[in-house]
Amino acid sequence: MSAASNGRTATRERVTTWTGQGIPRKEDDRLVQGEGSFIDDMGMQGQGYAWFVRSPHAHARIVSIDVSPALALDGVYAVLTGEEAKSMCQEPFFRIAPGAASHIEEWPLAVGKVRYQGDAVAVVLADTRENARDAAELIEIEYDPLPAVVDGVEAAESSAPILHEEAGTNVAWNGVFNYGDIDWALENADHVVKIDRLHFHRFSSTPIEAAGAVVDWDVGSGVVTIHTNHQMPMFAAMFMGPTLGVPINKFSFSSRDIGGAFGTKIGFYPQLAALALLSKKAGRPVKWTEYRTENLLSSTHGNERTFLDIEVPVMADGTILGFKTRAYDDVGAYLHYEPLGGVIWSQVLPGCYKLKHIKVDYSATLTNKCPVSPNRGYSRMQHLWLIERIVDTVARELGFDPIELRKLNFVQPEDYPYETPNGCVYDSGDLPRSLDMALELVEADYWRARQKELGKGKGKRIGIGVGSTLDSGTNNFGQARIINPELPFSGNGEAAIAKLDLYGEVNVNLGTSPQGQGHETTAAQVAADILNVSPDKVTVSIGFEQANNSYIGFSGTYASQFAVTGLGAVMGAAQKLRDEILEVGAYALGLSKDEVELSDGVCVSKNDPSKSIPFIGIANLVYTNNAVLTPELREKVSLTCRYVYTPPFQVPDTDRKWGNLTLTYASQIHACVVEVDEETGEVKILAYAAVDDCGRRINPAIVEGQVHGAAGLGIAAALYESFDYDEDGQLMQPSFYEYHVGTALDIPHIRTSYIESPSPFTPNGAKGMGEGGGGALHAVCNAIQDTLDKDDAIVYDSHNSWERVYDLLKSGERQAPRGVSVLSRVSGS
Amino acid sequence: MLLKSVEYVRPDSVAQAIEILNSNEGAALLAGGQSLVNILKHRVASVDVLVDIATLEELRFVESRPDGSIEIGACITYDELDHSELIHSSHEMIAWVASHIEDQQIRNRGTIGGNCCLSDPTNNFPPLLVAMDATMNIQSSSGMRQVRAEEFFKGYLMTAIQPGEILKSITVPPVPADVGIGYVSLSVGEDSKAIVRSSAWVKLNGVVQEARVVLARVSPIPVRYQPMEEALRGSSATPEDIARAASVIGSDFEPVADSHGSSEYRREMARVVAKRAVLEAVEKVRGEGGSK
Ligand SMILES: Cc1cc2nc3c(=O)[nH]c(=O)nc-3n(C[C@H](O)[C@H](O)[C@H](O)COP(=O)(O)OP(=O)(O)OC[C@H]3O[C@@H](n4cnc5c(N)ncnc54)[C@H](O)[C@@H]3O)c2cc1C
Repeated sequence: MSAASNGRTATRERVTTWTGQGIPRKEDDRLVQGEGSFIDDMGMQGQGYAWFVRSPHAHARIVSIDVSPALALDGVYAVLTGEEAKSMCQEPFFRIAPGAASHIEEWPLAVGKVRYQGDAVAVVLADTRENARDAAELIEIEYDPLPAVVDGVEAAESSAPILHEEAGTNVAWNGVFNYGDIDWALENADHVVKIDRLHFHRFSSTPIEAAGAVVDWDVGSGVVTIHTNHQMPMFAAMFMGPTLGVPINKFSFSSRDIGGAFGTKIGFYPQLAALALLSKKAGRPVKWTEYRTENLLSSTHGNERTFLDIEVPVMADGTILGFKTRAYDDVGAYLHYEPLGGVIWSQVLPGCYKLKHIKVDYSATLTNKCPVSPNRGYSRMQHLWLIERIVDTVARELGFDPIELRKLNFVQPEDYPYETPNGCVYDSGDLPRSLDMALELVEADYWRARQKELGKGKGKRIGIGVGSTLDSGTNNFGQARIINPELPFSGNGEAAIAKLDLYGEVNVNLGTSPQGQGHETTAAQVAADILNVSPDKVTVSIGFEQANNSYIGFSGTYASQFAVTGLGAVMGAAQKLRDEILEVGAYALGLSKDEVELSDGVCVSKNDPSKSIPFIGIANLVYTNNAVLTPELREKVSLTCRYVYTPPFQVPDTDRKWGNLTLTYASQIHACVVEVDEETGEVKILAYAAVDDCGRRINPAIVEGQVHGAAGLGIAAALYESFDYDEDGQLMQPSFYEYHVGTALDIPHIRTSYIESPSPFTPNGAKGMGEGGGGALHAVCNAIQDTLDKDDAIVYDSHNSWERVYDLLKSGERQAPRGVSVLSRVSGS
Repeated sequence: MLLKSVEYVRPDSVAQAIEILNSNEGAALLAGGQSLVNILKHRVASVDVLVDIATLEELRFVESRPDGSIEIGACITYDELDHSELIHSSHEMIAWVASHIEDQQIRNRGTIGGNCCLSDPTNNFPPLLVAMDATMNIQSSSGMRQVRAEEFFKGYLMTAIQPGEILKSITVPPVPADVGIGYVSLSVGEDSKAIVRSSAWVKLNGVVQEARVVLARVSPIPVRYQPMEEALRGSSATPEDIARAASVIGSDFEPVADSHGSSEYRREMARVVAKRAVLEAVEKVRGEGGSK
C-alpha cells in the first residue's frame, strides 16, 4: 500500500490514534468535485423568488409606499412592506441591550424610517428571481431624507441625528472596565506614552456564498421550514420565535454545505423572519439568494472601533504597566448581536501581556451604516490590534527592541494558568518560544541585515513586524450579563448524538453548522478512536437538521470552540455508545463487560479472539431481535446516545465585570516582512510566517488550513479591504470592483509551524482555534511601522491603502502630526 | 429578468449589422459582452436589440502589412492576442497587455474592439493604443473612415463612434528597433483595476527623438502629457533626465478622486508611473536593442 497515493489507507496501518492525524477531510471529495449542496441548490415545489427592496438613503423617513405597480406585473405573487410585516408579528426582536437601547424596536423590515443605505423596506415575491427584481423596481417609495451620522465617535455627541428616537440616544451601551489602578500607574510610571487616536476599520469576510434561504410557512401544520446557510440556526430560531409567534418546535431549520460564513452569517435573522412572513402571506414557499452587492451593503460588516486618548504607563526597564483609553465601537444601524461586542473583547483584556492596570471606557454607538455582527476575530481582534499597536509604539518611542519588549512583558510559560486582571484564566502556552519560532521561520535575521543594507531613500524599504495574538475560544455566555445583568444566559456547550444504525453503521450528528471547518472529519476521528473503527466507517451527518440533530441553545459553528465543545460532545456520546455496545456484545458472547473490547467494528473477547460479534449483530439484537435480550438490557440500551458537553463555568460578577469569560486561549504569533515602495506607498509582503499553539491538534492539516485562512483575511484587510461611507452615508465599495478581496494572487506564501500546549481545562487538551485573533493585521501594521522614520507619524489605522502608507512615509517631511507623545520622568533611557 | 428583456440578433456581415443599427435606435453592438452585459445587469443603460458581432469573420483577423504595421480585427479576443505569434513577434506589448487583463474567463471573451469602444477609464488598451499612435478603422453605410486613437476617446463611455458605425479594426504602426514601449500600472492588489496607469512610446537614438507619454485613470480618457514629452525630447534619457521630465506633471492637472485614491495622490502617482513607463521604454531600446 503506497503511502503517497492514499493517505487514508496508508495511515491506517501505522497509527495508534486517529486524533492528531492530518487525514484528508471527509468533506473534500464532494466539495472539490462540485457535488456539495449549497443554499442555491435547494428548492421546494411551488416556490416563488424573493427580492428585497432596499433603501437608497442612509437615513430617511418613509413617507409612502405604493406597491400596486409591482402587483400589477404578471407573475408577481405578493409584496410585503414593513408596516404589514409588523402587524403580523407579536413583538419586536429580542433585545440584548439594557437601558435606553432596550427601547429600540427592530422588526423584520424597516418601519417608518430607514436607517442605512440597504435597509430593507419591502420584499417582493414572484415566479422568477428576475421578475421579482423587476417588480421591486416598480414599487414607488417616497422618502424624506434626514441627516446621517457615519462616524462612531460623532454619533455619541448630542448634536448627532438620532437613529432610534425611542432610545433618545445613539449610545447603545456604555461600560467602564477598570482594573488595577491606572491613575496610580500613570502617576508613578517612568514614562507615559500618549497616543491620540487609533482606528480599527470596517471590513467583512465576504464568504464566497452569500446568505440565502428557502422558507415555507405551512399554515395547516403551523410548521415553518427554513433551509438556510445561517451558521447558528437555533440562535436565529430563538430570536425569531417570539417575534413571529412560532414555538421552537414548529420551526424546522436545516442546512447543508455552507460556502463560508466567518461569523457574518449570524446576523441575518431579520431577513429570515421577513421571508417567513412573506411565505405565510403568499401561501407558498419562498426562495431568496442574496446578491453580492446586497451582501456588501446590508448583510454584515465587522466592528469598526476608534480608540481615543490612549495613555500607557511604562517603567524604565520596559515593563508596561497597563493602559487607558476611550473606545467607540461603531455598530451600525441596528443591534443584531450587539452590544455583546462590548464585553467580548475583554476576554483578552491584557492581550498576551502581564498588564495590570487597565481602564477602558467603552461605548457602542449606532450609526447610519450597515449593522455589524460577528466577523472572524469578533471584537477581540480590534482590542488585540490596539494592544499590539501600543506595544510597538512604546518600543519605538522609548527605544526598545519590539521583540525584546514583547518577551519582557509576555505572560511567561511558568505563569499558566494565568489569571488576568478581570478574572479570565489563560490556560497554557509558550509565547516567547512561539515568537522565536516565528522569527526563525520568517528568517528575520536575514531580513534585518537586508533592511540595514537597503536603508532608506533608495526606492524600497524593508520592514519587519510581528503580531502576538490570542484566539479565545468557548465563551462563557454569562459575560452577556456584564452588558445586561437581566439576561438569563451563562455557560456554554454543545450536543452530539452517536448512534449504531440498523445494520451496525456508526453515525454521529452534531449541533453545529460547519462552513469549511471540517467537522465531519474531526468528529469521525474522535469517535473512531473511542469506538475503535476507522474514521471511514463513521458517518457524520452533513450540515444540521433541527428534526434529527441534537442541539442546545448555544449550538452552531462560531467563536472558535468546536474542538472543545463540539468534540467534547462527540466524545461523550461515543463513550456512551461504546459502553452500550460492550454491554450488548458481552451479553451476546456470554462474557462480562470487562472481558470484551472493540476492534475494527467487532466486539471481541479479550482472551479468545475467536469469540466475537460484529456491530451488525449488536444492532440486530437491539433493533430487530430484542426478545433474546434481558428486560434489563432492553431497558438500558438504545444505541442512540446523546451527550451534552458543558464547560465548567460560573456566572461572572457583573458589578466588577470580573470572571472567567472563556475556557481556552490559543495563541498565534505572526511575523511579516514587507517591502514598501517609497514612491507610491505600495506594500508587498516578502515573507510571512505564523506559529500556532492551539493545544492538542485533532487534525493538524485542518488547523493549518485555518491558520492560512485567518492570515489571508487579515492581510487582505490590512492592505486591500475596507468599507468606507461618504458623509451622506453612501457605501463607497458596494461591489467587488471597489472592494478588492484578497485572492490567491495577493496572499503570499505562508510558512507555518506550531507548538502544542495542551489545555488543562478541556476533555481532549485541544483549544478552540480558527478565528486567529487578527494576527495578520497586527503583523502587517507593525511591519509598515518598521519602515517609517522616527519623525514620521505612527501607523494609526488598521487599513493601510497605498495612499495612506504614502502619506505616512511623507508625514515627517510634511511635519504632519505624529499622533503620539511621550512624557518621561527619568532621564537616560 | 436579470437583464430587462431584450431582442438578440446575429447578423451575417458587418454591412448587415450596420443596417440593423441604422434601422433601430435602441440597437447596440455586442462583442465580448464582458462590460455591456454587466452594464445591462446593473440597469444603468437599456438596450432594445443586441447585435452580436463577436463571431463575424470580417472582424476576426490579425494581419501584418508590408510596412511592419499590423491590423487587428475588432473582435479579436485578449486571449487570441496573447496567443498570436504574429503579435508576439512584431508588437509584443499588445500581447503582454492582453494577457494581463483580469482573469482567463474575461480574456476568453473580451475583445480589443470592445475594450476601446467602451471607453472606460480603467480599461487597459486605450492608453497603450494612444501611445502607439494606432488608427481606428471605422465602418458605416457610407464607407470607411480613420480616426487616430488620440482622437477616438471622447469622454467617459464616449468615443468617436457615431450612430450606425462599427469599429472594424485597429491599425498599429510598426515598432522599429529604436522604439521602446513602456506600460506601468499602480493597482490595489494583483488583479484589480488600476489607480493610475501610464504608457510611453519612446524613439531613441542616443537622445530621445520623440516621445509619447500617456496617462490613464487620472481623467475620463487617456491623455498625452505633452509638457513631459517635450521635456524628454533631445534628452539623453538618463534616469535623472526622465525623473526631471516627469516632475513637470504639475498642479495644472486635476485627476479624479474615488475610493482608491484622492486627486492629489493620483497627481503624484502620475509622475511616478509616467517616469517608470518611460524608463521601461528606454531600457527596452537600450537593453534589448529594440522592443516590439
Ligand atoms: C470583473 C471584470 C473586470 C474587468 N477588469 C478589466 C480591467 O482591469 N481592464 C480592462 O481593460 N477591462 C476590464 N474588464 C472589461 C473587459 O475588458 C471587457 O471585455 C471590455 O471592457 C469590453 O469588451 P467586450 O468585447 O467584452 O465588449 P462588450 O462588453 O460587448 O461591449 C462594450 C461596448 O463596446 C461596444 N462595442 C463593442 N464592439 C464594438 C465595435 N466593434 N464597434 C463599435 N462598438 C463596439 C458595445 O456596444 C458596448 O457599448 C473587466 C470586466 C469584468 C467583467
